[in-house]
Amino acid sequence: MTSFNDLALICERIENISGSLEITQVVADFFLSIDDKELEITSRFIMGQIFPVWSPLQLGIGPGMLYATLSRASGLPVRDIKELVKKNGDVGLAAKEAMANNNKTQSTFATFVEEDNVLSITDVYMRFVNIAKASGKGSQATRIRNLQFLFAQAVHTEAVYIARLAIEELRIGVGEGIVRDAIARAFDVTKDDVEMAYILTNDMGMVARETRLKGIEGLRKMDITLGRPIKQMLAQISSGIEPVVREMGSVAVEWKFDGARVQIHKDGNNITIFSRRMEDVTDSLPDIVSMIRNGITAKSAILDGEVVVFEDEKPGAFQQILKRFRRKYDVDIMVSKIPLQLFLFDIMYINGMNLFNNNLVLRRQQLLECVNPSATLNVSEQVITSDVQVVNNIYMTALDAGHEGVMLKNPESLYSPGKRGKNWLKVKPLMETLDLVVIGGEWGEGRRAQMIGSYQLACIESTTGQFLSMGRVGTGITDDLLLELTLRFKDLIIIERGTELDFVPEIVFEVAFEEIQKSPTYNSGYALRFPRLVRVRDDRDPNEVDTLERIEQLYINQKGRVDI
Amino acid sequence: MFKAIIESDKLKEMIEAVSSIVDEGKLNLSSDGISIKAVDPANVAMVSLNLNSDAFEEFNASEGELGVDLKRLGDIVDMAQKAEMVELELDEEQHKLIIRMSGLTYKIALLDPASIRKEPKIPQLELPATIVLSGNDLKRAVKAAEKVSDHMCMGVEGETFYLEAESDSDRMRLDIVKDQLVSIIPGDARSLFSLDYLSDMIKAAGKANEVTVELGRDFPTKINFQIANGNGDVSYLLAPRIESD
Repeated sequence: MTSFNDLALICERIENISGSLEITQVVADFFLSIDDKELEITSRFIMGQIFPVWSPLQLGIGPGMLYATLSRASGLPVRDIKELVKKNGDVGLAAKEAMANNNKTQSTFATFVEEDNVLSITDVYMRFVNIAKASGKGSQATRIRNLQFLFAQAVHTEAVYIARLAIEELRIGVGEGIVRDAIARAFDVTKDDVEMAYILTNDMGMVARETRLKGIEGLRKMDITLGRPIKQMLAQISSGIEPVVREMGSVAVEWKFDGARVQIHKDGNNITIFSRRMEDVTDSLPDIVSMIRNGITAKSAILDGEVVVFEDEKPGAFQQILKRFRRKYDVDIMVSKIPLQLFLFDIMYINGMNLFNNNLVLRRQQLLECVNPSATLNVSEQVITSDVQVVNNIYMTALDAGHEGVMLKNPESLYSPGKRGKNWLKVKPLMETLDLVVIGGEWGEGRRAQMIGSYQLACIESTTGQFLSMGRVGTGITDDLLLELTLRFKDLIIIERGTELDFVPEIVFEVAFEEIQKSPTYNSGYALRFPRLVRVRDDRDPNEVDTLERIEQLYINQKGRVDI
Repeated sequence: MFKAIIESDKLKEMIEAVSSIVDEGKLNLSSDGISIKAVDPANVAMVSLNLNSDAFEEFNASEGELGVDLKRLGDIVDMAQKAEMVELELDEEQHKLIIRMSGLTYKIALLDPASIRKEPKIPQLELPATIVLSGNDLKRAVKAAEKVSDHMCMGVEGETFYLEAESDSDRMRLDIVKDQLVSIIPGDARSLFSLDYLSDMIKAAGKANEVTVELGRDFPTKINFQIANGNGDVSYLLAPRIESD
């Protein structure tokens, strides 16, 4: 049994290391020192994740609940806890300081019983499981008390990391990349094998455990499990139709719908639909479920597609679709009020066979063979051509029909989950947009005094998972939207310094801009010129926002354009 | 095997006494009756309950453990009218608890006892002061304190049992003198407790004619009372908040 304190000490050490190679080594050494179950938990904990993404368990502890718990455990009023968070600029350090206070601290029976009270890594995990599982009447108290237990038992710096894990933000600069490399190093396997197993299972804990127990053989045997989402293949924004056709030779052209991406798992009669964020949205989409049940002839399959809403035969607003997703009540009413269509464009798995290593042409053949199209269930039209004019025509037709643009895909390309590669490119006429996570904000002035008027945006550093700021957006927001955003962000406030606010990074903005500029002011090193909010991307996870690499790339490309 | 018939009020009393501390509990069965020991998730409050077979109209049980979702059971038993008989029976094959009341039959899934937090080790405490008072008086004190703070001090001064609550601006003090108590054994006692736990405990304790409160200095308190017309008893233990300067 490894104590949680050992993990806390490792985290503390990592915080003081800047090189990712050295961090990887520390993580790898720690992985070797713990048992199998702990390894599974720790490989998630260390990147601030409690449960694998596919798991239906959600921790759901917001800052409000965290502060209430710290207040109960420490005896300090919530007001004082907030002060500590503000002073320390971090919930972890605030938690530690609150628990070190000796005024009216809630004791536990541990004080009065002669017993070994060491908190183990597994203990901490089990408490988080209890918290995630609590539901119904009185569950708030159960959740708070389980978390309170952890703070009461915490020694040394444990409280720092319990608090940060509670809001799933460890802030030690360890992301998927480092954990992947650490697993490879600790158990002497290649990074690529670890990466592939992770892509297929979406569960770093399981990958780590299998690797240790069964080595490279076991790692390579890990496969897709129906009912567990896999990462989707992503597209880059292209530089224009002509250069793409020139580079790829022949391209597969498909319409790009402005809809919601879905991944559908069919396992006999069991159908599960996942959103782009790998959330199970099956219950809110009974119409899509029956389309699949009636229209897919394969016994089992994993399909990639886009859900689109049409109004008067024109594509409807994206916001309409979001009214359908994740809905719990009045599902049936909404099915008739906002009818959906499904456009399938890829298949990753069929009847027990993983299709990742088949090229697009072969996958499409499989897809066409297993779909019985209907009025609402379609396979996206696809044309393979090397003629720029043909592509241009399809592009114009798509725009005329009210769609976003076109996708240009390399017909020879394999399905690479989670990768934003060069094999899928989107062409759209809009000004460039970026998906950025909102990490802070500022109370407005004058007419907007009661509202959060500007929002601090950040991109992600992909190896460390750190969010790096790149300036603020305050335009493109109507008063109604501002009010709605203020209400949403209020619950996410971690720290308030005067009018300045720090948020739990959770909400993603799609932001349009004129140009990317170098900037010493923000820690990404870049800023946006004339940023404007296009929409709130409720379908995006903060970890999926645009990466610093992409921003660097865009910066370079745009300079290229200027030179021409 | 387990089969029992009990008046709904007694069953409700029992469930309420435990479910105010934990959501899930392990019912220990024997031919003598049912007992439960459980500690709250924060390790701050404990409950220990015994219900003798005499509390039941009919009682047949062999030694065993049943893992029960108490909130769920409470919800179901709430369907019973006052003084109605409720029949409980273990379906051993399906591992379910059958609950019958005037025409209604429920079958609820039991929990794996191993999945329930293990029974607490009960600290051996020597508490110098013992106060016996009516459940209603204790309930009134807790309600009064809640208007001021989220914690309350209980202590003994001479032969007076006092309760104090304080916030930055407001203060409440309630003195209950010997005459108003059933009895008091004076001793050095003053401890501070979280009101959210006390108000959970008072739900069941507030209905008892007599409640025994045992206290020490910065020590847990023990709150005992009887249920089911004297055929059962409940003992709560609550860890204090500790003030140190």
